[in-house]
Amino acid sequence: MSGLDIGGSQLDASWFLILGGILFTLGAVGVLVRRNPLVILISIELMLNAVNLTLVTFARQLQNIEGQLFALMVMTVAAAEAVVGLAILVDIFRVRDLEDVDDLSELKG
Amino acid sequence: MTTLTSSQAISLLVLLFPAAGALLLAGRGWRLPRTFTVIVGPLAVWAAFICSVNLFLNKVNADFTYWTWIKSGAFEVPFNLLVDNLSIFMCLVITGVGGLIVTYSVGYMSHEDDPSYARFFTYMDVFIFSMLLLVLAGNFVFLIVGWAMVGLSSYLLIGFWYQRHSAVVAARKAFVMNVIGDIGMILGAFVLFVSYHATTYSGVFAGITGANGCDSSHLCVFVPANRDSSMLELAAFLLLVGAVAKSAQLPLHAWLPDAMEGPTPVSALIHAATMVTAGVYLIGRMHPIYDVAVYAHAAVAIIGAVTALFAATIAIVQTDIKRVLAYSTMSQIGYMFLAVGIGAYSAGFFHLLSHAFFKALLFMAAGNVIHSMHDEQDMRKYGGLWRQMRPTSISFLVGSLSLVGVIPFVGFFSKEQILGSAFSKPDDGLALAVWGVGFVTALVTGLYTGRMWWLAFAGTPSPQRPVEHPHEAPPVMLIPVGILAVLATVGGLIQTRALGFGPSQVSDFLASAVGKVGWEGGSSEVVVTFVTMVLAAALFLAARRMRPWSAALPWAQRLLEHKYYFDEIYAAVFVRPLDATAGLLLRDVEKPVIDGAVIETGALATAGAGGLSLTQSGYFRNYVLVFVGGALLAAAVVLVRANS
Repeated sequence: MSGLDIGGSQLDASWFLILGGILFTLGAVGVLVRRNPLVILISIELMLNAVNLTLVTFARQLQNIEGQLFALMVMTVAAAEAVVGLAILVDIFRVRDLEDVDDLSELKG
Repeated sequence: MTTLTSSQAISLLVLLFPAAGALLLAGRGWRLPRTFTVIVGPLAVWAAFICSVNLFLNKVNADFTYWTWIKSGAFEVPFNLLVDNLSIFMCLVITGVGGLIVTYSVGYMSHEDDPSYARFFTYMDVFIFSMLLLVLAGNFVFLIVGWAMVGLSSYLLIGFWYQRHSAVVAARKAFVMNVIGDIGMILGAFVLFVSYHATTYSGVFAGITGANGCDSSHLCVFVPANRDSSMLELAAFLLLVGAVAKSAQLPLHAWLPDAMEGPTPVSALIHAATMVTAGVYLIGRMHPIYDVAVYAHAAVAIIGAVTALFAATIAIVQTDIKRVLAYSTMSQIGYMFLAVGIGAYSAGFFHLLSHAFFKALLFMAAGNVIHSMHDEQDMRKYGGLWRQMRPTSISFLVGSLSLVGVIPFVGFFSKEQILGSAFSKPDDGLALAVWGVGFVTALVTGLYTGRMWWLAFAGTPSPQRPVEHPHEAPPVMLIPVGILAVLATVGGLIQTRALGFGPSQVSDFLASAVGKVGWEGGSSEVVVTFVTMVLAAALFLAARRMRPWSAALPWAQRLLEHKYYFDEIYAAVFVRPLDATAGLLLRDVEKPVIDGAVIETGALATAGAGGLSLTQSGYFRNYVLVFVGGALLAAAVVLVRANS
């Protein structure tokens, strides 16, 4: 795998992918172990951005613009998702104090 | 479709009027004023009567095929009506006597509330339609449809007062016994179809007489090569099962006395004048078969003769006036079977006509009495009605004398023609034997009819009588009774063969359909005829002094009161074993096996769902964990595959 030209210096693409992997894992673990709904949302954003980083890396390496376009697309969707998620959270906070997502289990039969 | 000729259209209308009446009454009748029912119910029957008269006057004699109803390979059923002299004769009896009885019902059923009133006339019109379909059918499929539908209407009308347990039980009994007959009929039709490759009467009869198109069909492999009559005997016996069940002959007779649970006009129409004579019609209609199938034909005569005597003896001890008439009906139909069984078809049909007159008359006159006695049917509690219900009493006397066979009433001419034909049939020991039974039956008939008359109408009023001063029936009930009384008095003059001279209108009319009686009676026949009549009439008079036999012949009294223990035998042989088997199956098969399988399947589903529902914890993180775990697993699979 050839290196990527970033601001004149060469950096191997695997570094970017490793960083993406670390960020994604951090996000996933955050979603799994944290109870605070806001932190969970932030962790989801982290995962999305890790994926974006991977997409851009491959786009650069393969000289294909589609990867970058797709990253832009993900950002748009992430923005929309954050809006909806935060709106739901705000609504729940209006009704009660929510510290733990496990408290939201009323729909279980 | 080609245009209909007027005769074809009128033949269809005979069927369509009662059908339309039934549909009108079933759909809207009970919501409209009672006048609607009163007009539509009888009018439908009278309209069919007018159409029948038109067919009669125009001397229609044809097999009308309207269209092909079913066609499937070799099996072809045309929509055809056989309008020959026999079916016109039957149509006239059904719609004529039926019209009188339905009109009579307007008065008899007047105590019913509006929905029941409309229901009654709906059923009556359905019955008339079914019966007309039965006699007009030109093929076995229609015959079976009509045959089953009259059984259904009979069931509905016997159980008309469905709040009474006994009526429901009687209706069910009648239906079950009729279905046994239906099965026999259907199997008989199958045998004929397999043998002759035709569903129409004309096709089958053409096959029997020789010129059949059977040889080209693969279905004919079942026919014996030498074309002996064994298949015909089989078919004839199976059809006889149907005839016996419908006409309440031995051994499928037990339903008719119980059928008296129905309203009296029903007993008059269905269980005396028309439906129960369908068996006689069937054998007359199938006479080309019975002429060849000599054993089945002899069985018809024997069953008829035995039933005639059997039922007449039971009638001696019955106390319910309608049951006496029911047993008398069985007995008289036995005479008809006897007649058609020895080949005197037109004599049988003349008795069918005459019996329709006098037995409908007797039932309707008895209905007048029952109506005025607030539904009391025990004759011992009547007495002395002669003074208080004169028109009804006269009508009943006319019917009784006709039943006994006193000259000049219609019963004399028809019954004596049957007995005379049996007596004078040359070289036939069986005919002579059944004549002997018929002769004894004629005497017993005089006895039980006399007992009924003297007990109910003569003498002084019984102290147990429910009504001290009974009212005579209203005109709408008396006029039909009067018309039938006139017919029962002078009707015999259309055929006086029993006297050895005079007109023979019925035989001449039916000759084209069932043939003439093939032998002539001599002067000895006339002598025997008069001896029979005088003895029967003497017994009618002697019955006045009759007392119950319990003192002299207690065992005979008991035997007859239990109707020769037929109900008990059937209960022991069929009903109780079936009940026991059903109970056993319920306990050992239904509950443990079938119910068990169903219940266990349900329990399994419930348990499975309970187990699966544990995965639905309701906690967000659990779902995410499963999701992530799934994703990791998928990734692992992809990696392993890529590297292998």
